[in-house]
Formats: sequence, C-alpha cells, structure tokens
Amino acid sequence: MNAIDRRWWLGGVGLIVLAAGLYLGAPIYVLYVANLLMTYAVLAIGLDILLGRAGQFAFAHIAFYGIGIYTTALITNNTGLPVFVGIAAGGLLAGLVGVIIAIPATRLRDVYLALSTFAFAEAAQWVFNNWDSVTKGPNGLRISPAKLFGHTITDDRQAFFLVLSITLAVIAATVLMNRSKLGRAMSAIGQSEHVAMASGIGVQRVKVTAFAISAVYAGIAGGMFTLYQSFIHPDSLGFDLIVLILTMVVVGGLGTLPGVILGVLLLGLMPEVLRNLREWQELIYGLILILAILFMPRGIWGLITERRQAWQARRVAARPSPVQDET
Amino acid sequence: MTGTLILQGVASGLVTGSVYALIALSLVIVFKSTEVINFAGGEFVMLGAYVAMFFLVFLGLPYIVVVPVTAFIAFAVGSAFDRVVLDRVLGRHRPGQSIMVAMVIATVGLSFAFKGTVRLFSVSDNVRTLPPIFSTDPVFLGEVVLSKQDIAIFLISVAVMLLLFAFFQFTKVGRALRATSENPRAATLVGIPVRRMRTLIWGIAAALSAVAGVLVAPKLLVSPDMGGVIILAFAAAIIGGFTNVLGVIVGGIVLGVIENLVGLFVSSKAIAIAPFIVIILILMFRPQGLFGGAAPIKKV
Repeated sequence: MNAIDRRWWLGGVGLIVLAAGLYLGAPIYVLYVANLLMTYAVLAIGLDILLGRAGQFAFAHIAFYGIGIYTTALITNNTGLPVFVGIAAGGLLAGLVGVIIAIPATRLRDVYLALSTFAFAEAAQWVFNNWDSVTKGPNGLRISPAKLFGHTITDDRQAFFLVLSITLAVIAATVLMNRSKLGRAMSAIGQSEHVAMASGIGVQRVKVTAFAISAVYAGIAGGMFTLYQSFIHPDSLGFDLIVLILTMVVVGGLGTLPGVILGVLLLGLMPEVLRNLREWQELIYGLILILAILFMPRGIWGLITERRQAWQARRVAARPSPVQDET
Repeated sequence: MTGTLILQGVASGLVTGSVYALIALSLVIVFKSTEVINFAGGEFVMLGAYVAMFFLVFLGLPYIVVVPVTAFIAFAVGSAFDRVVLDRVLGRHRPGQSIMVAMVIATVGLSFAFKGTVRLFSVSDNVRTLPPIFSTDPVFLGEVVLSKQDIAIFLISVAVMLLLFAFFQFTKVGRALRATSENPRAATLVGIPVRRMRTLIWGIAAALSAVAGVLVAPKLLVSPDMGGVIILAFAAAIIGGFTNVLGVIVGGIVLGVIENLVGLFVSSKAIAIAPFIVIILILMFRPQGLFGGAAPIKKV
C-alpha cells in the first residue's frame, strides 16, 4: 500500500467516523450547519469548475441554484415522487438553462461574460419574485418535507446522510472529471484560450460544457437545500450569496478542490463564530476578499502547497548528495 | 393625453438619465484606462450621498461647499484604493493570464466593505433623503411639468460632462490620461507616468460617481443599498460599447427615458428588470455596443 492509498484510506475512515459521530451525537443545530455547509460546498465546487478551472468569470450561479430549489420544491409539493426525482429534475433544468445561457454568453469577452451573467442572475431573481402563480413571489414558497421510499424527511438529522451522500458523489464526480480529457481541456482553456485552441481543443464546446456542469451542480445544490429547509424566499437568492460563495472559492484557493472545501468550511463557520457581530459581517467579508486577493492570490491552499514544496526542497537540499561527496 | 404622458416620461427620463450617464462615464473612464470593471462604482455613488448628507444635514453647510468637498473626499478614497490594492494586484500579475478575476474580486470586496462600513452607523438604519438642491417648485414647459430641482440636476450633470470633456481635450494631464488609455506602452515611452495616471483616473472616477450620488439622492432614496443604481450605469456603458464616451452618455439618457416610459406604460414592477433585458439583448446581438464600429480584434 503506498502513501497515497494510505492517505485515502485514513481520510475515508476518518470521514465515516466523523459522519457517524455527527449523526448520532450532534445537536440538531450542528447538523443543520453541516447540511448548509455541504450545500455551499456543492455550490462552490460548481462555481470553481467554471471560474477556477475554465477561467470563465460568470455570476449566474445563484440563478441556477434558485432554479434547482424551486423545481425540487414544486415537484415535492405537488407530487408524491421520491425526492431524488425532484433533485435530478432541478439539476437537469438548471443545466438546460445553463446551456441556453452559455451558448451566446461564452462567445463574449471576459468582461462582458461577467456582466451578462450578472444581468441574468438579477433577472432570474426578478422572475422568482414576480412569477406569483408558480413561486408565490415575495411571499416565499413553503417546501413540504421530502419523501423517499415511503419515508418522510422531517428534520436535519434525517436529511444529513442524504445530503452527505450527494456531496460525496459530487466530489467524486469532480475528481474523476478533473482527471478526464474534458477536465484537462478546461484547465488548458483556463491557462490560455489561444494555446488551447491551437492545440485542437474545441474551446467553445468545452466552455459550454463547463458552464452546463457548473449549472447542474448548482441545481443539485438547490435540491439539497429543499431536503432540510421548509421555506424559500427570493430575497435569499441575491448578489450577496454569490459573493459569499465567491469568497469561499477565492479564500480557499481557486481551481483546487481541497482548497475550495477548506474555504467553505472556514467561511461557512464564520457566521457562527461571529454571531454577535452580525452588523460587521458585510464589512468583514469585503475586507477578507480584498486581503485575500492582496496577500494570497492562490488562496489558503496555495499557501499550504507552497510551504510544503519549500519544505520538501529544503529536505532534498539537506540530504548529502552522493555525486558531491565523490568530487 | 398619451402624447403628453410620453413627453412627461421623456422629460423626467432626461433628468435621471443624465445622472446615470455620469455614473456610467465613471465606469467607462476607469475601464478604458485600466481594463477594470468597477463593481464598487455604485458604492462610490452611495458614499457620495452619505458624505454629502453628513456635511449638509449635520454640519449645515450649503451645497456649493458640500459638492466640491464630497468630490475631493471621494477622489482621495478612489485613488487610495488604486494605490494600496489594485496597484499591488497588478504588480503580481503574470503576463498571459487574465487579471480580470482578481480585479473583479478586489472591487466586489471594496463594495462590500463600503456597504458594511456605512451600515455600522445608525444613520443608515432609516432610508433618508437629502434636502432639495433647489426649490421643488414646478416649472411648466409646454404641457410638461418638471421641478426647478429637476432642471438644476440636469444642467449640473451636463455641466460636469462638459467640464470632463474639456479636461480630457484641452489640459495636458487630460491628454496624458487619454494617451495612457490608448496605449500604455507608448505612453510610457513618451514619458507619461502611467502608474500615476491610473491612480488619477480612479480618483476622478470616484469623484464623478460621488457627485452623481449627490445629484441622484433627491430622486433615489439614500440607503446603504442605493449602489444598486450601478446596474443602470452598466447597461448605459454597454449601450456605448464600454469605450465610446458619447455613446455612453446617450446610453444613460436612453435608459433614464426607457425606465420612465416602462414605469408609465408597462408596470412599476417591470422597471427593475428593464436594464437587465437591455444588457442581455445588446450583449447577445451587438456586443460592441450600439455606437461602436466593428468589434476590435486583439492580437495575441
């Protein structure tokens, strides 16, 4: 068993112990926070595929999240179908809308891509707020408890394992995708579009695919939200949420999966730590963004890997070189 | 009757539109010389309104003193942001990679920091208005009614635009700024301190937004969220293709008029979505803006 295998095993066992401990012993509020963080993780990983890997600055993520929430909630409310059908439908619909948006938007210069997707997100929020007959508009939509094979999921504890398994599936899919041809093509585009094009990568097609995958993730995150929440209001789907997710990705480390998860944990737990400083939150997030981009442009994960490399280099340098000894 | 309504809508639209044009200009001059989209542009507007409120309401100073002081404070804040943050981010930038992501994150961070700072003061708990710049007595222009204040807002906006135009056209510094935005490398070669020019343009843009904030405050309400007006400025800038200054001014005014007409004839709810639809449609069909020529091709 080599070192990497052992790390995976240790991580897996640790995770199972942690999850079982949380499920059995943690107060319900802790499980709520855990569910919320896992939802954010799926959102952040999706945003990072587009932003960190493919290098496309798009702001539409929260619109897809909203589409996922409303689709799953409406299917749960109006049919007796198992909740997985609703989540899948939410993910697919978000992906479909994503493709429709991506086809014109990815032709635009980076600046215009940011602006047009920003406009789309704001327009989507407007639709959630004004399509009264479907979304109940500004009154908010009540979400019935999710049903699964005859069971009804009524609290955060029951939702926990479902949310956890979806999160793990998304992480596994992302790891596989990053290693695939598609993932490498995305990274190539993120590094340099021209070089990618010259190497025979169908840049436009890969961009649209990245956009679609990112949207599907956001839609699934929306479905996860309905598992443990009983209410959705369009005001919670605004620009603030995309900035929160963006902060997680940037602080953790753009384009690195462990970094993004680290960012979600750190920033997701911050409101819990700063609960008494609610009025300071906006200022703190703003300063964190500025400081992160100033002092650790590659995020916390970037710092960690730099340190580790420096440490390894020093260890190699310290080892007496046999060639030098002979001379 | 409808004719009068349309005229009234256009007239009111001209007033707000001229202020939107000012905000859009501040975005465009920054973009032209630094390639940065300032997502904190709206917060400079908000900051201007609050700083002006402080001097007007709490110190009781007259507008004629308050506007220059507000502009100066905004200038200091804007140029400091460029010096302290953007300059360093740019300094670390490796060629070939898009600097966009870092710059957008920095300005989004600034916008949150501003909003958060204002919210710490109890003034921001309630929505407020500034005292009227001019009397709100009605003025009848044919069948159209505007207040004296509306006319003052429009005239001041136009005056500021003319001043800006004269500055860029006829002063040495203004011409150096234009040279910088056209070709930074060539500008360096002829001895223009490009770095200082970037800082200067951020200061000017911030001052411009802050003045627009003072002008728009009697129309919008002053609140920490009033920076949302930036979306109209984005739309105006996109109409002008983000580079054509005249197009941007026209864009601002057109948006003001559209907003008023939509409010009058469609529904007040639809006002909020009008600028997004404008942005999406223009970017889909004419991304170089309504006034730009063919899209420029950038060499690698």
